[in-house]
Order: sequence, then structure tokens, then C-alpha cells
Amino acid sequence: MNSNFSCKTCASADKKLETFISNLSVDTSHHRMEGQSIKCGFGLQGICCRLCSNGPCRITPDGPKGVCGATADTIVARNFLRAVSAGSGCYIHIVENTALLLKKTAANKGAIKGKIALAKLAEIFEVNETDEHVCAEKIADLVLADLYKPDYIKMELVEKMAYKPRFDRWKELGILPGGAKSEVFAGVVKTSTNLNSDPVDMYLNCLKLGISTGLYGLTLTNLLNDVMLGEPSIRLAPVGLRVIDTDYINIMITGHQHSMFAYLQERLIQEDVIEKAKAVGAKGFKLVGCTCVGQDLQLRGEHYKDVFNGHAGNNFTSEAILATGAIDAVLSEFNCTLPGIEPICDELKIKQICLDDVSKKANAEMKPFVFEEKESQSNEIIASVIEAYQARRGVVALNLDAEHGNDDTLTGVSEGSLKSFLGGTWKPLIDLIVKGEIKGIAGVVGCSSLTAGGHDVLTVNLVKELIAKDILVLSAGCSSGGLENVGLMSPQAASLAGPKLRAVCESLGIPPVLNFGPCLAIGRLELVATELAEAIGVDLPQLPLVLSAPQWLEEQALADGAFGLALGLPLHLGLPPFVTGSSVAVQVFTQDMLNLTGGQLIIDDNAQSAAQTLDSIIEKKRQELNI
Amino acid sequence: MKRIIIDREKCDGCLNCNIACISAHEEGSNFYTVNLQSPDAETRNFIKFDVGKGYLPIFCRHCDEPECVLSCMSGALEKDPVSGHVQYDENKCAACYMCVMNCPFGVLKPDKKNRTKVIKCDFCDDKPDGPSCVKACPKQAIVVKEVNL
Ligand code: SF4
Ligand code: SF4
Ligand code: SF4
Ligand code: SF4
Repeated sequence: MNSNFSCKTCASADKKLETFISNLSVDTSHHRMEGQSIKCGFGLQGICCRLCSNGPCRITPDGPKGVCGATADTIVARNFLRAVSAGSGCYIHIVENTALLLKKTAANKGAIKGKIALAKLAEIFEVNETDEHVCAEKIADLVLADLYKPDYIKMELVEKMAYKPRFDRWKELGILPGGAKSEVFAGVVKTSTNLNSDPVDMYLNCLKLGISTGLYGLTLTNLLNDVMLGEPSIRLAPVGLRVIDTDYINIMITGHQHSMFAYLQERLIQEDVIEKAKAVGAKGFKLVGCTCVGQDLQLRGEHYKDVFNGHAGNNFTSEAILATGAIDAVLSEFNCTLPGIEPICDELKIKQICLDDVSKKANAEMKPFVFEEKESQSNEIIASVIEAYQARRGVVALNLDAEHGNDDTLTGVSEGSLKSFLGGTWKPLIDLIVKGEIKGIAGVVGCSSLTAGGHDVLTVNLVKELIAKDILVLSAGCSSGGLENVGLMSPQAASLAGPKLRAVCESLGIPPVLNFGPCLAIGRLELVATELAEAIGVDLPQLPLVLSAPQWLEEQALADGAFGLALGLPLHLGLPPFVTGSSVAVQVFTQDMLNLTGGQLIIDDNAQSAAQTLDSIIEKKRQELNI
Repeated sequence: MKRIIIDREKCDGCLNCNIACISAHEEGSNFYTVNLQSPDAETRNFIKFDVGKGYLPIFCRHCDEPECVLSCMSGALEKDPVSGHVQYDENKCAACYMCVMNCPFGVLKPDKKNRTKVIKCDFCDDKPDGPSCVKACPKQAIVVKEVNL
């Protein structure tokens, strides 16, 4: 490959992956970190504005205000709300497509695999329909109707879904969201040139977007997918580069919109398609998981044993997965589909197909998913993947790592599967928390990044610190992709936990870090938290529960974070979200939020001290609950 | 002897060198936390912009024959014979600003807050990983070179 890249790659918590990547002859994000190591100070603090041609303006000792008079507080708040709006838009796009797909699936009498999820949604939404297809369509319609409301009309499902004490607080604060798509629009307008300059108003707006993002983009996306794709169930599964089997035609998937693959997945294991694979010398087709859509397939893996070979790795493992040479095609429908895969795909003759133009790669074939044409589209995709397989296998060198990852990652954990594992009630978990066998719960969520020490470095170190303090960790997002590859989601990781948590894990045969799958499943963690709070009879901020997105990466993570703060939970981030240039921002997030929602932002890139802070918050909440 | 060498063609005017310098003189701060709005926020290096010529980084040269030292009557400015760096001792400074007037590069200035001392590059006290501004420059418009005199 004609590339001019650094030979020094960044560190990874996953040492095998670090070695694998450092020996690659293709350029990856891990190689590019060094060339991008010098960061702009104004960008890091969020005090650069380029909203008009008088700019870009930066806040400096000699220029304490932008040309228009915008202060650091205004500039930071505008940048932040813009980012949260964009992040919300991303998740709302996902739930919109998912609801549209459910509607069409139901109207066409397609398979309803998740009967429990359907019943649960029908109950929450108060839909009384005996016919499951009619019921599913009504549910999809209700979601879509809310998403499409104007911003001045409140969404109706918020009150039905939210925990009552939370809903009441949000109402008091005036942050109940109007139509979710319009709220994104409103956030963009508000932050444009010479419009809103009130930082506090903009941060409240972020909380509003957090609510619509969380309840719709996260929680509902999961539940709607459960209806179509089947509920998660707990099982052990292989993870890492080892899941790639060269006997098969391998398709790597990237994105967040799992239901788009549903038909293709079934098609790939039908007899006539397997025959086509055999005709070119392969045993059949396999999907190789990458990014959140892979995590989601893994979560529901029980339903997809034949076609899904396992989750290979998170966002910043995708280039390495392709560099094994054993992937024949990439199907992408959302982020995180790194631009960095483009030259690797060209070099290794890997076919790229995008199913949604939001994730169109420059050199990929665009094939927008159309429900009505899914049969012919799937056949066309299969034909072009076979063509790629024939053109590349035997020609492109393989570079596998059968040692990477493990075979016993516990997956399939969800609010439903965990509760049934506990015997259909949260009581056993609550008892363990009350007795102090489990000191508290930490949701370690969100992305993976290459900062804060390197790939997954802070995430893995923080989780080790937390479990050593007898804090049970629930994970969702690319963070789980990293945690599972280093073995923290395997039952034997119990030995790394503190004595009490270790005993609990060993008696149940579970790891101290539970894998809820994709970042969308942060919505499942919210369901768990809400059900626990309900069972105990307290509000969410009173629970001995903390959130951390140690290696948050992008705008969606900021919208997730806004949801966490709206829920009133303490939220740790490894690196500041480009707000430290504003004293108002720092005050609102780290202090005032406690009075607004009960939430609080903690910023610390040191695993030990961050774990100590989170531990002391949990201890304090335990004391306040008298346990 | 180490000097900061400037390649003005490479400078993009990003001001990262300013931030680095201010941060280097705010105890315990980093790029995220340095307070650029504090009255104490003073940069010891400057970027000027000339239409037609582009950006001009202005840094203390730690001159061989430093005009600032020659014009200083109170002994506040001295050239270190070992490092070759021109160091400033605030306690000896009479705040006459002869140095400010005599520096041919215009790099010296009185402090903004009290106007009782001179703001001068201290070569980041010769810390082992080198001057903060140089580390922060994304364009390598400023680099440290060993010079023999
Ligand atoms: S909107 Fe104001 S702060 Fe932003 S670039 Fe224009 S003048 Fe500068
Ligand atoms: S302050 Fe001016 S005269 Fe003195 S050493 Fe620096 S560049 Fe030379
Ligand atoms: S060497 Fe240190 S004191 Fe001198 S200009 Fe650079 S950052 Fe400032
Ligand atoms: S950091 Fe480098 S490029 Fe940026 S202004 Fe300073 S000298 Fe110029």
C-alpha cells in the first residue's frame, strides 16, 4: 500500500490487538494517533467559534470576546448544544428507521419474534389489540407520531415510559421534549449566528434533547428491535479476531440499525444461497460483528447461531478486522464506519456496500435499503459479495490471529434476560446490594477512543478498579467490545473482583462485568435502573448507581450523557466534552446539576482516582438509604 | 546551547504556542484547564500577522549579545553562561522597562495586571522535555536546535 504512515501505533488495553496492529502493513487509526498528537488548545476548551465570517474567533487573553461580543460561556454552550443536537439526530434517525421497519413488517404480516417485548410495549403504550401484527403496527405508529410532532407539542409517550418522579421533575424544569426530530431542528436554530447567547438556557435544552434521545433513540430502539428480532438471552459466545472463519464468505457489518439486516441474515443461511457459496469453494456465509450492530447481533445471538460467527471488536478494531484479509465485504448502515476503512478495502479488494446514505463511504456502492425490495436487494448483495470473494480469496494474503479474544464471553444480558436469570424478580439483586455483597452498580458505557491512555485503556483500567471495590459493572456500547476482548466478561474474571463481588459472581457463574451489548442498550440500563428504583421505592438519583463513559467519542455520546444527567445520575467522563473554557459550563455540569436533576458530571482521566470518586458517591448514597 | 529556531513559513497562526506558554506558567494547569481569561494569563511569545507576509512568530532569541541585558541597570536580566539563556529575576527588577524599549524583537512587555514586572521567556526553566511552546506547535514552525557559539 502506498502509504506514508507512522510506524508507532498507540497503546491498547488489548495487548494482543496492540501487537497485531503494530505489525500491520496498512495504515490504521492506531497509526494516525501520533501524527494527530498535538491538539489545539482552543478546540479542547470549546472556545473557538466559526459561526460567521468575522471569525473564527477564539478566546484569548487579548481577545476575551468574539467580534460579535460572544463570551467564552456563550461560545462553549453553543458548540455543546450543537453537538448534542447532532448526536440526538443520529439516534433519532435510528429509531425512526426502526419504527418504520416495524410498521412495514407488521403490515406485511412479517415475523414477530419478540412476543414478550411486544406485550411489554403494548402495556406501556396502552394498546389493546389481540392481533399481534395490528398491535405492532399501532405501536410503531405511536412512536412515529411522537417523533414527527412539532417542537411545541409534547411527545405523548414520555409520560408513559418515564419513571414518575423523573417525569415530574422534568415537567417542573420545563424540559419535556416536543417532537424529537423538531427538537433537533430547534437545537440547531438556537445555536446559529447571533441567536441564543444564554448558556443556562442552552444547557437546559441539552437535557431536553437528552430525554428525547434516551427514551426514543435508546430505549425504544431496543424494544422495537426486540419485537422484530427476538429478545436477548444469556449465553457464552466467542469474541475477538478468532471468530473469523476463512472457510466461509465473510461479511463484516458496521452500524446501529440491526433490523435492516434481518431479511438478508435469513437469506444467507437458506439452502440455495449456501449452494452458491459452495459453488465458489466456501462452506457458506458468515456475518462478522463489528461496532454496535455486531454487539446487537451478539446480544441476540441465540436467534442467529448459524449466520453470526461472533463479535470481533469495537469501532477502533474495525480496520484490524479488515486487515486480516479474511473479510470479503463490508455492509454498513450507520456509524461507526470509519473513513479509514476505505483505503484498506481498496487495497484488500473488499467490497463495500452502504445500506443507508448517512454512512456512505466514498468508494462504496450505495444500495439504500428498501423494505419492499428486500428480496431482490439481498440477492444482489449476495451476488456481489460472491464476486468479491472470487476475485480476492487466494489472491489477498491472510493475516489472522486465532489467539485474539476468547470463547467464553457472557452475552445476551438485557433488562429482561437478567431479571429472568434472577428468577423473574429484582429481589435477589436488591438483597445483595442491601447486604453489601454488591456495593453498587456502575454503568460503564459509550464508545471506545484512542485517547485517555490509548484504545480502551482508561475503560479497562477503570472497570478493574471498580470491580475490585465490589461494584458490579454493566456495560453497553463499544466499551463492551473492548471489555469482552480482554476477558473481563468471561466468568473467570470474577477473580479480579473484590472478595464480596467475587463470591457472588462465582456462585452464579457470571463475570463481574455484564455485557448489555450496543450503545443503544444504555436504554436497557435505564430500564434496569428504573425497575430497581421502583422496586425499592426511591427516585433514580438515590440509587447506589453511577454512570461512566470513560472514553466517550462523539456527538451521540454527548446526547447519551445528557440523558444520564436528566436521569439524575452521576456521570464520569475521562476527558472533558470541550467545555472547560467556560466557567459557567463547569459550574452547571459539576455543581448546579445536582439541584436541577440530581445528576453531576465528574471529569477524571485517572482510573484510580475516578474509581475512588465513584466509590465514594456510591458509599454516600448507601448511607442516605441507610444500607 | 539550545535555542528556539523559527520557520515563519510554516506558522499557521493557531496560537497553540501562546496557550502552551500561558499554561506553562499557570501551576498545575493543562490545555483543558488553563484559564485564558485570568488577568494572570500572559504569553511570553507572540504571533503577529502581516497582510501579504503571513504569520510571524515572535519569540525571545536568548541573544548572544542581549540588548535587554545590556540596558538593564538593576541586574534583573542576566545571561546564563552555561545554558546561554537570558533569565529574569523579578525581585531585582526596578520596572524601568529599558529592556522593553531595547529588545530589537519587541518580545518583552510589562505585565498586564500590575505593570510592575516584565513578562519574559524563561525557556520553560530548561525542563527536560523542552519548551512547552515547541511541543505544542502542530506545524514545527518553532523547533529547538543546539547551537554552538
Ligand atoms: S459568531 Fe461571533 S464569536 Fe462566532 S465567529 Fe462570528 S463574530 Fe466570532
Ligand atoms: S528579550 Fe529580546 S533582547 Fe533580550 S534576549 Fe530575548 S530577544 Fe534578545
Ligand atoms: S520557552 Fe517556555 S517561556 Fe519561552 S516562549 Fe516557549 S513556552 Fe513560553
Ligand atoms: S504553535 Fe506554531 S503554528 Fe501555531 S502559532 Fe505558534 S508557531 Fe505558529
